This record gives sequence, structure tokens and C-alpha cells, in this order.
Amino acid sequence: MDWTALGLSLQLGVVNVLCLVPVGIGVGRVLAYRRFRGKGLAEAAVALPLVLPPTVLGYYLLVAFGAASPIGHFWQLVFDQPLVFTFEALLIASIIFNLPFAIQPMQRAFEAIPPEVREAAACCGMSPWRALLSVELPLAWPGIVTAMVLSFAHTLGEFGIVLMVGGSIPGETRTIAIAIYDRVQAFDEAAAGQMSALLLALSLSVIALTFAFSRRVGRQLG
Amino acid sequence: MDAQHAIGIAGRAFCAALITVTFGWSAGGRAAEAPVIAAASDLQFALPEIVEMFAADTGSTVKVSFGSSGNFARQIRQGAPYELFLSADEGFVLDLFREGFMRDDGVLYALGRIVIFAPLGSPLHADSSLDDLRTGLTDGRLAKFAIANPAHAPYGQRAEEVLRRRGLWDAIMPKLVIGENVSQAAQFAASSNTQGGIIAYSLALSPRVSARGTFALIPEDWHAPLRQRMALIKGAGSLATRFYSFVRRDAARVVFRKYGFVLPHEVDLTEAGAAR
Amino acid sequence: MEGLHLSLHQREPIPLDASFDCMPGEVLALVGPSGGGKTTILRAIAGSYRPQHGRISVNDETWYDTDAAVCVPCHRRTVGMVFQNYALFPHMNAAANVMSALRHLTRRERTARATELLSLVNLAGLEDRKPAALSGGQQQRVAVARALARQPRVLLLDEPFSAVDKATRQRLYREIAELRRVLDMPVILVTHDLDEAAMLADRLAVLHRGRVLQIGAPEEVAVKPESAEVARLLDLRNVFDGEVVHHDPDSGYTILDWNGKRLEASHRPHWSPGARVSWVVPEGFVLLHRRDRPSRGEHENPVRGSIEATFVTGQTTHITLRPHHDAMLPVHFTVPSHVARRNKIVTGVEATVSLLAEGIHLMPAQADAHAEGFEAHQPGK
Repeated sequence: MDWTALGLSLQLGVVNVLCLVPVGIGVGRVLAYRRFRGKGLAEAAVALPLVLPPTVLGYYLLVAFGAASPIGHFWQLVFDQPLVFTFEALLIASIIFNLPFAIQPMQRAFEAIPPEVREAAACCGMSPWRALLSVELPLAWPGIVTAMVLSFAHTLGEFGIVLMVGGSIPGETRTIAIAIYDRVQAFDEAAAGQMSALLLALSLSVIALTFAFSRRVGRQLG
Repeated sequence: MDAQHAIGIAGRAFCAALITVTFGWSAGGRAAEAPVIAAASDLQFALPEIVEMFAADTGSTVKVSFGSSGNFARQIRQGAPYELFLSADEGFVLDLFREGFMRDDGVLYALGRIVIFAPLGSPLHADSSLDDLRTGLTDGRLAKFAIANPAHAPYGQRAEEVLRRRGLWDAIMPKLVIGENVSQAAQFAASSNTQGGIIAYSLALSPRVSARGTFALIPEDWHAPLRQRMALIKGAGSLATRFYSFVRRDAARVVFRKYGFVLPHEVDLTEAGAAR
Repeated sequence: MEGLHLSLHQREPIPLDASFDCMPGEVLALVGPSGGGKTTILRAIAGSYRPQHGRISVNDETWYDTDAAVCVPCHRRTVGMVFQNYALFPHMNAAANVMSALRHLTRRERTARATELLSLVNLAGLEDRKPAALSGGQQQRVAVARALARQPRVLLLDEPFSAVDKATRQRLYREIAELRRVLDMPVILVTHDLDEAAMLADRLAVLHRGRVLQIGAPEEVAVKPESAEVARLLDLRNVFDGEVVHHDPDSGYTILDWNGKRLEASHRPHWSPGARVSWVVPEGFVLLHRRDRPSRGEHENPVRGSIEATFVTGQTTHITLRPHHDAMLPVHFTVPSHVARRNKIVTGVEATVSLLAEGIHLMPAQADAHAEGFEAHQPGK
């Protein structure tokens, strides 16, 4: 049982979600409320990671911030280590890869708010910010929670991208999914089995809690 | 307490646990004090034993990453934070040294050997002449055969060399199952999903693998030698340097020999005990 | 300048051509078919829609002026709006919905004022209910309370009764009429129901495709539509073509030719003799002659014809009469059902009606509103 790897995976999942919540809310709202030229293209770009093979994304990420790239150079200058093979690289890759899981449910949730309700909020004297806090977020909450859970669960399971961009550095980029792969190769079936069972239980309980939670919120909203 | 109430509490407890993990885990998690060693997959069983000995001896620990040597060489060029590289082929180490990534040109730590392995219940026999393999190809007993990836794993390259030399490559190529590294190839070869494979001697010697089938050493003059070389990478810390010296000492050499790794001067000592 | 003053013009995407004023305490109804731009105008006043050209001012504040590039955002205009589907916040109870418009007060003041408003709309005791637990009529009242909470400078009602059943609607009309006494701001009511507009509004504006065609008191507009188009929008069916023959100032009549039949209409000298016109006679000015007794004395504009169709709704019978002369179109009128029964009105029988001269109203000819002899009549005057 590789506790370090588990901790790493959980950390990656949580930080990922924390970063994606504001992005999801911001972009989800814009896509839900506004019509503009190129919106179709924007939505397609957001949805792209859903259909893109992880290795393709991994390849382009390596090109984009590998040691030879401008971003890689910059990182090296500032932090005295390359960007690839670090937790930060995994985080960046995860955030990009999880964009559709974060944005789409939130977009649907904001779309489901009747435009009249938002207009009513303005007529009640609520500034756009207050309307967001008092009306939009409470109503979109189930969608936001769904987005957070999906992103978290998806991050726990990421493999191809993590391997390409992170290597399998124990304590830095060896997530639990990679650790399972590693243990299988080492003929350590006991450890692989333990970790797999744990991940399965974790994923199931997270999903079950989410569904129960959103049913409960749904009931409150009538 | 009704169901809704319980769900609310469970949800909150879960979030609290997650936050704790995120911010409280750093102590054991990402602290990069223990240096990371890049080791060829054929050391999968040998090196952990040496690491344990090192820990018992000095009280310090190192972390090991196993994989194919070619893959590690690529990662090191890209700046991966390894401090010591144990390659299965000295060519990788020497190239890296010439390109300025290594502290020095390192030392030879072993001569590797390859074996043909047949899992229990396989219709193939593991024989060092590979004759049964040849007949197995023609009479259809062989459906799948595992080797490491010749593109970047030294053990895979030697497997291909041997198969070509024996004139089996063209016939066997459509039936090959390629492992990412020699460990994965051993995994495939030991499973009942293949009829066998060519893997590292060191892996076959490990009880976990040898219990799963039979193997036979392939004559070493059938392939270029597996001169396994290791070297410290530029910027390696003191702990990695100490480990590097430790690995060359007698205590470690015993472990190497146990797994069939010999140095040129040790060859005569082990020839007698080696499999046919 | 007190009250609401509005002038909006736009070609696309939604055509708009509207100018009107509404004084404090006055109810102005915007009527017209769906898609006519009525809701768009309301949203422009509220601030959620920005027409290309226009000016909106309330009392002394300019809320919108394209020439001066002024646009006060919606949440800064003190406007109260009741939406067609109420648009209550589903996650808040009734009191919280009202309180969300009272953020400028302290917490204690907010609760007190919300309770006050909710009892004003007869919802005392239901403060804790969420919208899902309220009936349509109750939700509507919460919406009204919420709209009034900010003491708005303008009150906007967007088809507020369309989603409510008839019985509740009647009750709400009465309550709104009561409420009017305490409302001292301009009220703009959008509705497609002419009866509702007639009942609640001081003035109504007839809109078609974003253009205001006529503004006036309901009785006036219904009886004196300015054009055949307005007449049709107001559901006046007796619209015919005719020609002015001559004027008779002594008797106070203008003589009208209706496809060969002479009619006496009220004296309107500004139509030149020979001018083609269209004219309308509201159904209330069409009287049925008793069939069992011979006609006695003079009846205005008698028209003889045969009954083409009858249609009974409750205590009223709607009748269509096909005149014997070449009228091209039938005449519609209504009588109480007992009158229809007594006169044995059924399809096919002969009957005579009188068209009262005072009810015959002349309008520009339909095909050509700028025919000779017509002096342009401005809508909204």
C-alpha cells in the first residue's frame, strides 16, 4: 500500500478542483448567458479533451513546456528545475484535461436558471456580484458539485498524461494509478490489489455521496 | 437522525478529510529529501534488497524508479530530477556523459544475461537452443511471445538480436507482445496469456517469477553483451553519492550475484552455478 | 418632470417605434398581439434591454439616453417588475424573496417591512413557504410584494394574470384595484387581454410589431380606432369599406355610401366628399329589431339581411347577419340569449338591425392610408 502515492493523488485531485471551480464558474457563466460569434468554437475547444487521446494531449504538453520550450526555459530560470516531472506539471496537465468535466456541468446548471429570475434579481437591486452569490450560485449548486466531483474522480484516474508529463517519480509524480501499474510490473499483486480496491471504494463512495447530495438539494428547490 | 441528515454529515466529514489530506500530507509526501534513483527494470528485485541494506546501514533511504533505460535517458535529457542512473546498457550512460549530463562516465556494475522463459502449463519448452521455439512457430503451438521493447529497452534489443540471429524474427514478429520494459515483458511472459518470452536473467531468478514457470539461459555470445553501467547525474546530492559507493561494495555485490549479475572478473565464479 | 417619459426607436432585431408618457398613479396598458414588442419595451424600461435609439426618463432621472450615452444599469434603477411567470427565487421562501429587494435596510427593518408587504397582498401567515408550496395566485402576490418592496419609481407588470385561472384572476383584479389607491407611481401593464386592459387601465396603447398605433382611454380607443389595423387589433369585427357622399351639417350627419346602401354617420366634415374610407361600427352599436312586431317610427340606418350564424356563450348569443345588399362582409353583433330566443333567431331567418349613427366611426381607407382628402391623424395624439 503506497500511502505516499495515495496522498499525492488526493492532493492533486483537491488542488485541481480548487483551481477549476473559479474557472468553471467564470467560463460556464459566459457560455450559458452570452451569445457571441465563435461561441460554437469555444464550446468545442472546451469539449476537446473529452475526445482527445490522453497521449496526444501529453505530447503537446511536452512540446509546450518541455525543457526546450520557452515556458520550460522560463520555469527553469525562476525555479531552478524543469517544469516537466514535477507536481506542478501534473497540475497544469490535469487542469487542462479536466476543463470539460468542470465547465460543462456548470454551464448546464447556469443555463437552467430562467433568464427572468436573473432579471428579477437585478430589478430587486442586486448588483451582478450579489446576484451571483445570492441567486445564481445557490441555484446552480448541484451542477457545481457535480463538476467538482467529476473533476476529482477523473484526476484520480488519470494515467497516460501523468506518465508522459510526470514520469513516475515517487513522492512527486507517482500517483496511485501509476503506483498500481508499477506494482503489477513488479509482480507485487498484493499491493496492486489493495490499492485498486481502495480506489474503487473511494470512487464509488464519492459518486454515491454526490448523487445523494444533489437529490437532497433538488428536493429543497422543489 | 434521518437519511438526509446523515448524508449532510458524511458530506461534510469527507470534505474535512480531504482538506486535511491536502494540506497536512506534505510532510510525508512531496518532500524531496530522499534522492530518486533511475534503475533499469531488470533490477526490479535486486535493487530493493540493496536499498534495504543501505537503509539498515546508514539510516537513510533512497527512492527508486524502475523503467526502460532508453526511456530514462530521454527523461534525463529533459531534466528529470534523478540523481543516479543504473542503465542496462552502457551506451546510454556514455552518451549522456558525452552530452554533459553526468558527473563522470560511471562504472560497470554488471553483465546482464537473457533467458527464454515458459510459464507453467505452456506448450513451449524453455531450451537455450531455442529449437523448441522454432518448432513451436511452425506447428502452431506458439501464439504470443513476449519481449521488452527493442526501441528503447536493452533487453528487448538483445532479444531481437538473438531471434534474428536464429532466423526466427520474421516468423515470430507477428506474434510478439511488447513490454514497456523488461519487467512488463516478464509479467506478460509469466502470465498464461502468452506461451513465453525472452526476459532478464535477474528477473527469472526471483522467486516470484521462477515459481511461475521454467527458464533457460541463452548463450551470451549470441548477442552483444549487456554491459550494465551506472553513473551519478550532475547535481547529485551527497546521499546519492553515498549510495553510489555503497552499491559497489561487497555487501551489495553479493546481492547482485544472487540475481545472476556478474562483473567480468566474477564470470568464472558463477559459470559453474549458472543454468545450462 | 414627473412620471415616466419614453421614446424608443429601433429597426432590428426587434422593430420598435414607441413614444408615450405615464403619470404617477396612472395605469397605462400596452396591448397587442404576442411578439408585438410589448415585453421588450418593458424590459427596456427595467434596464435589461438596450434599444438602438431612445430615451427613458422617470421623474427627474434620465435612465437611458442613446444620444448622451447614458445607461443606468438595471440594479440601479429603482424599478419594480412583476414577470409573466413571477420569476420568484425558488430557493428562498416568500419573506426572503421580498427581503432580497430590501437590502438597503437593516436586518430587523427588513423582516418587518417584508411582513408588512406580504399582509398588504393578503399573504400574512405564508411568509415561510417556498414558491413550490404556493399556488399560482399566491406566487403572483409574492411577486407583487417583491416588486413594491423597493418603493419603485415605476411599476411594470408583464402579463401578470395570464398564468392564473379565471376565478383567481377576477379576485386579483379586485385586489389590484384596491392596491391602486396606495400606488403613487406610473404603472405599465402589458397584456393581450383587452377586457383586462379595459378594466384596469386609465389609458391603453395599441402596439403592433413594436409600433404604438394609438393611445387613449379604453372606451375611446375601442369606439374610435384610428385605423382599420387598430380596429382589428382591438378585435372589432365590423370593419367595412365605404365612400363619403356628402355632409349635412344641419342634421349633423355625414352621409356614407356602403356598397350602394346609404348610411347616416356622425358629422365629420374633414373627410372630403367622394373620399374612400373604411369605417367601423362596434357591436354595441348594432341593435336588433324585434321580429314579432312591425317596426315603429324611425330607426337609424336599418339593415335588412338573413342570419348566417349564431354562437351561444353562456347568457350571450353572438350573431352574424348577411345583409341583403352587396355588403361584401357580414355584420356581427350580440344580444342576450333570452332576446335571441324570443325573436326566434336561428340560421337562415330574416332579420333587421339598426346601426346607430353615433357608433359609425370613419377611418382611412385600408389599402391606402394617404388617399386624397385625408388629413394625417397622428397616433398618440
